[in-house]
Amino acid sequence: MAKPKIAFFDFAGCEGDQLQIANLEERLLDILGHVEVVSFREVATGHSDDYDVAFVEGSITRPEDEIRLKEIRKNAKVLVALGACAAIGGINCLKNFMAENVYREEVYGGQARWYSTYAARPLKSVVHVDAEVPGCPIDPTEFARITKELLQGRAPWIPDFPVCVECKQAGNVCRYEMGKMCLGIITRAGCKAACVCEGAHCWGCRGLVPGANLDAARIVMDRAGSDRKATQDLLRFFLGDTGAAL
Amino acid sequence: MTTYTVYKEQLPGLFEKWSKQYALHVPARLREGFYDLVPWRKDLEIAWDYDVAYNSPKRFVMPPHEALITYDRRTYEAKPVFGAPKQILFGVHPYDVKALNQLDQLMEGGSPDQNYIRRREATVVMAFEPLTVSPSGFWASVGASSVAHGFDLYWTKVGPASFTVEIGSAKGEELLAMGGALLPSTAGDKEGARRAKARILTKARKNALRYNWEETPRLLAKCWDSPLWRRYSQMCLACGSCNTVCPTCYCFDIREESDDKLETGTRYREWDGCMLESFAKVAGNHNFRPKAQDRYRHRYFRKGKYIYDKIGELGCVGCGRCVRACTAGIANPLKVFNELWEETAHEY
Repeated sequence: MAKPKIAFFDFAGCEGDQLQIANLEERLLDILGHVEVVSFREVATGHSDDYDVAFVEGSITRPEDEIRLKEIRKNAKVLVALGACAAIGGINCLKNFMAENVYREEVYGGQARWYSTYAARPLKSVVHVDAEVPGCPIDPTEFARITKELLQGRAPWIPDFPVCVECKQAGNVCRYEMGKMCLGIITRAGCKAACVCEGAHCWGCRGLVPGANLDAARIVMDRAGSDRKATQDLLRFFLGDTGAAL
Repeated sequence: MTTYTVYKEQLPGLFEKWSKQYALHVPARLREGFYDLVPWRKDLEIAWDYDVAYNSPKRFVMPPHEALITYDRRTYEAKPVFGAPKQILFGVHPYDVKALNQLDQLMEGGSPDQNYIRRREATVVMAFEPLTVSPSGFWASVGASSVAHGFDLYWTKVGPASFTVEIGSAKGEELLAMGGALLPSTAGDKEGARRAKARILTKARKNALRYNWEETPRLLAKCWDSPLWRRYSQMCLACGSCNTVCPTCYCFDIREESDDKLETGTRYREWDGCMLESFAKVAGNHNFRPKAQDRYRHRYFRKGKYIYDKIGELGCVGCGRCVRACTAGIANPLKVFNELWEETAHEY
């Protein structure tokens, strides 16, 4: 059987997720042994439009991005959103809460009128996405696991429960018990509560857990936070494209 | 039952000796108001007056993530994986010992859980009579203030620098004797231990069920349609924290991951919880308990009825961890059971 061909693409984003994949180093060689990489500009030169699996990083922020993404969708049998920007819109969506002339000026200054731009959005707002590797940045071990599951013809699994589960498994003291806000209560797990384990709180980079109880979350956060604005700011940070941010 | 008296000055020597053969965990302060069992080291100050260990002892016998088998796709062979480090849990409160005893019954029954049993056999439990009660604890009213077995040694602080130690097993006595000749407790020390228990019980009973805990299964049987389930579960985040912090919740999920060459792999289990939305989801995407309300009620029925129906005791030992862990403030067996009792009081 011929090896599946895979390709990497990026839109608005920092390419940090592809860097995370490159960071797998020697593990990457084993995993890539099962596939043929036809396009991965962060690791190798060359490109081909003949591929089976497309890993797409970054969010869609310009009308012309849509045309390119639809082309990728057409070529690929499986399209995987890589990282927060691609999967949920991520921090690019912060601009969706600003007036267009304000962020245009901020980014492009005097040349603002030369560039097209519109509200940032995740890939799934434009095309069908088959699988997600969530997170900002992605967890390389999760990328490895999902890739292996795809190669074995299994449905890729990502946790469908909140970060709290993994945070409790890690034995952390709950941020809310320390009087702090945390988005772990509504955020999809899979990161092993990395930010809380390091002493911070959850920022929600892996997106909303399915069935997130946002009404309850807002009440819980408001009780812990200094004011409503603090709750809203935290909810808009990564979750701008979801109902959580409103 | 033999009881010996041990002085505080003997402890560093004992700990030192034990820690050479066992992973030794002792209660210590994590930060103001937070305590946990942590690995012992020489300069660690033992928190004798800890109210509740932040993490329940189940993680020592049923770790959050545990490999079960390794398999080889080339040879179609599978091998069981057993990890059972020798460990001493020092300073476990009786309600947590009771929780371990309950896990023992549930994991040994039916098809015995070999991974659990091996870990448990390698674990020495040194119980300790609590000196304080956590604000959310209510163990004295659910029959969890005393345990008749399940410990190798039972320590009670009877003076500023002295303890009585009741022997629970030969292993415990052997470990205690590593500190030198054993000093049988005087009648005065034994009486001191009895008074220490009475003192803590008085404190612990301030937070109590309004009825005899044995009534709980009958109470719940009448409350399937209570409006309480909806009222509380509206705030449920389905985060499973009440499950994961619970010393008696033992549900797990099983998954597999291949190695990077796709030749071998590991099957492992991870903590799961009945409050998580996908817990009761089965093949074909059918969910037996799709609503938070169903799941919330289910958990209280587990704690108050289903476990009782199996083994004749509550599935809740009153440690109060879920009360504390629930950010939404709805996990509270004491409050839920008492309110259901009030609701149905006219029927008695």
